[in-house]
Amino acid sequence: MKIGDMILVWVFVLVSTSAWSNVFVHWTSSALPPAKELGLNELVLSWNDRFSPQVKAARRQGYRVYVEVPLHQAAAAAETGASGLEGIILTVRQSERAELEKSLPKLRSAHPKLRFVVLNPDGKQPEMRGSLVIKRGSVLEVSSPTAQPWIDSNLALVKTEQRSHQGQVPLYTFSWGGLSDSGQQQPALTAADYSLAVAEAGAFHADFILKLDERLQKALSEHDPEAWTLWNQVRSYANFYSHTAEQGMEAAANVAVVVDDLDPPDEVMNLLARHNLPFTVLRPPDLKLGELEGFDVVVVFAKPDRGACERIADLATHGKIVVLVEAHGSYPWQSRDAVRLNEHAVSYAFGNGKVLELSEPVTDPETFAQDIRRLLGKENVLMSLWNGLTTIAVPYCEHGGTVKVLEFVNYAEEEPLRVQVQVKGSFASIRYETPERRCCESLVPIKHNGFTEFVIPELRIAGRVHLEANQALNSRARGASPR
Amino acid sequence: MRCDRRRAAALISFFLIASFVQSSENQVLVYKKKYIMGTIFEIAAYDQSSEHASNAIEKAFQEVVRLDNLLSNYKSDSALSNLNRSAHFHAEKVPSDLYRAIDQAVQFSRLSDGKFDISVAPLVNLWKAALRGEGTPSRAQQEEVRSCVGYEKIDLTPPDRISFRSSCLQLDLGAIGKGYAVDRAAEVLHSLGIRDALVNAGGSTIFAMGSPPDQTGWLVHLRDPSNKIDPQVMLKDGSVSTSEQTAPSLLGNDSAGHIIDPDTGMPLKTVFTVSAVSRTASASDALSTTLLLLGPTKGTALIESMADVSAIWISHEAHVETVTGGPQILFGRGL
Repeated sequence: MKIGDMILVWVFVLVSTSAWSNVFVHWTSSALPPAKELGLNELVLSWNDRFSPQVKAARRQGYRVYVEVPLHQAAAAAETGASGLEGIILTVRQSERAELEKSLPKLRSAHPKLRFVVLNPDGKQPEMRGSLVIKRGSVLEVSSPTAQPWIDSNLALVKTEQRSHQGQVPLYTFSWGGLSDSGQQQPALTAADYSLAVAEAGAFHADFILKLDERLQKALSEHDPEAWTLWNQVRSYANFYSHTAEQGMEAAANVAVVVDDLDPPDEVMNLLARHNLPFTVLRPPDLKLGELEGFDVVVVFAKPDRGACERIADLATHGKIVVLVEAHGSYPWQSRDAVRLNEHAVSYAFGNGKVLELSEPVTDPETFAQDIRRLLGKENVLMSLWNGLTTIAVPYCEHGGTVKVLEFVNYAEEEPLRVQVQVKGSFASIRYETPERRCCESLVPIKHNGFTEFVIPELRIAGRVHLEANQALNSRARGASPR
Repeated sequence: MRCDRRRAAALISFFLIASFVQSSENQVLVYKKKYIMGTIFEIAAYDQSSEHASNAIEKAFQEVVRLDNLLSNYKSDSALSNLNRSAHFHAEKVPSDLYRAIDQAVQFSRLSDGKFDISVAPLVNLWKAALRGEGTPSRAQQEEVRSCVGYEKIDLTPPDRISFRSSCLQLDLGAIGKGYAVDRAAEVLHSLGIRDALVNAGGSTIFAMGSPPDQTGWLVHLRDPSNKIDPQVMLKDGSVSTSEQTAPSLLGNDSAGHIIDPDTGMPLKTVFTVSAVSRTASASDALSTTLLLLGPTKGTALIESMADVSAIWISHEAHVETVTGGPQILFGRGL
């Protein structure tokens, strides 16, 4: 496969921002250190009766203040605090999505100086999860839907948010598992816990509201040295992602996942993420050849209507592999020769590609993700990791160009890993940076068969790799790019 | 035979109030986890001092890390990797833990007439490529690699020397290494005064020391692919391990899998998941793989020749076979 052709597989998702990621600090304590000391100046307060004085106090401390409100209270909050607020963060539940479509333009029109941002509050605490789950007054039980080690990641949520709110960088938050209202004495959250949360959002190119334990808020306000040591690590992570690593970077993917319902992300997407198969979430109307030029595999969970069926056939004709999940209808490709793969799967060759029908839901997302990797074929896998079972990597590339940046997050936190990486493309220079050791350490590239391999010597929580292609190959690739 | 990567194999439950809170007997439960040996090791331990329990757990984890550096075949500088490079027709002196782990493995090979075989690594590697979608190995490739396999080509000379009577023999301790490490971790906990603890290596091997306060043991829910039976075992100073073949492809017709039958040189075809209960984690770990390979009929005969061992085979269709020579396996739901 030619390098130029290979570049065709890089497909670019939409949002590009001035910062890689913004961290908003959610503050609930009455005392507040100045923004200059905290090092982050975007503050989120909950809306309540004392809201206006809090906003004034926070502004005096140098913060840009946002208030987090449920959608149905957004208008009232905007009226009350319009003069001092930077913006309103709208907490929107799944059932309110339709209402949001109507309300948001009205709010923006009524309050043009306020920034309105949609928050997905349903993130989960990122962690490497064991199989012993301790429950209060009940049983301690294992729940591991797939092979160990299990990772709780927000990548699938971010991917769905990118499609849900296309004009906005995804914004999410989560509640810490250790801060439940059970009254238990919980172990305090560590710098590694906070840093992982910040790193994950940064690596996924999403904005994030960081909820601080009240004990930490109080300790910071009281200038406790241990609290500030912890916070300084977290701040270094936030700073690491606060600037744009490279200009014009966009997420790369060559697997498309087409769904009817964007909320919540399902287990299949979580497993694609865990297997480091870069994907993009689409809706059925997005199933257009022009939009899907760089994708190799399209997984359709949506129920295809007639128009979608025609578009699927068109994609297959042009060489794509389309996987139709829970396929029970009569489709145009079924007139072609069928190859039965197993009891539940049939393959139809169609044009230069093929359509695979799976007659049942995905019963084993782990196996399904491995199947998608096999369908891509060795030559089309964008990246592979070894010793990376607890690591998620996200590739970014220039629009119409080659990959330039790989972001890594290690969910095993304090366990530094030596991770071997293979990335598609030929790269002459590889530089590595982390929040702890800023740019850059040179890594040795080994090139063969259109791929480049390198070793990250020590991945602790987060790291970033900058890739520079061979100039000549890069030029050819750009020339071959469809965009 | 199989790699380290086994499916989450057990459901564990035990009754307690909560972590990090005082129990009625002033016992504190401390829980920690750590990523080692390509999986998550978890330890939950009761003690009167949370600090003491926490330190003991950390020491146990350190022991597992130390063993990983000896037994891993993924680490090029491990003692096992060194042995794999240099022991062909040459006796190598090895660390005592590596010697013991290989010695135990060879004993299981003899017990099972070669069904359990740590020298099957070349075949595992051959079929790993098939799992990645790189095509099924040819018959010629299989035959070539099979000539490298055979536990009887391993020569052990006490106390610490090992040599291979083959130019291409390679060892992989994936089917016993985690169990061995769990046993050693439990020994560390015990040596530091911990009496009641649970050590869990990724759900596939679990060792129970003592019991939670006011309980007779640790209630462990076993892996049930049918979701109809909920098999359980009350463990006290014993171990359970679970093995199953890689799930079949949803979108293909391949028959690759990570557990290789040394007799055929091909991935094992089985409908069963097996859990084996034994006194030690090394034994349960090795036995679960062995029993999966043997199947219920031959497996039952093997277990009946051993002391204090129980086992259960369960299929997706809830076909169940049990044999009880040790702790009783109970059913949470009726058959």
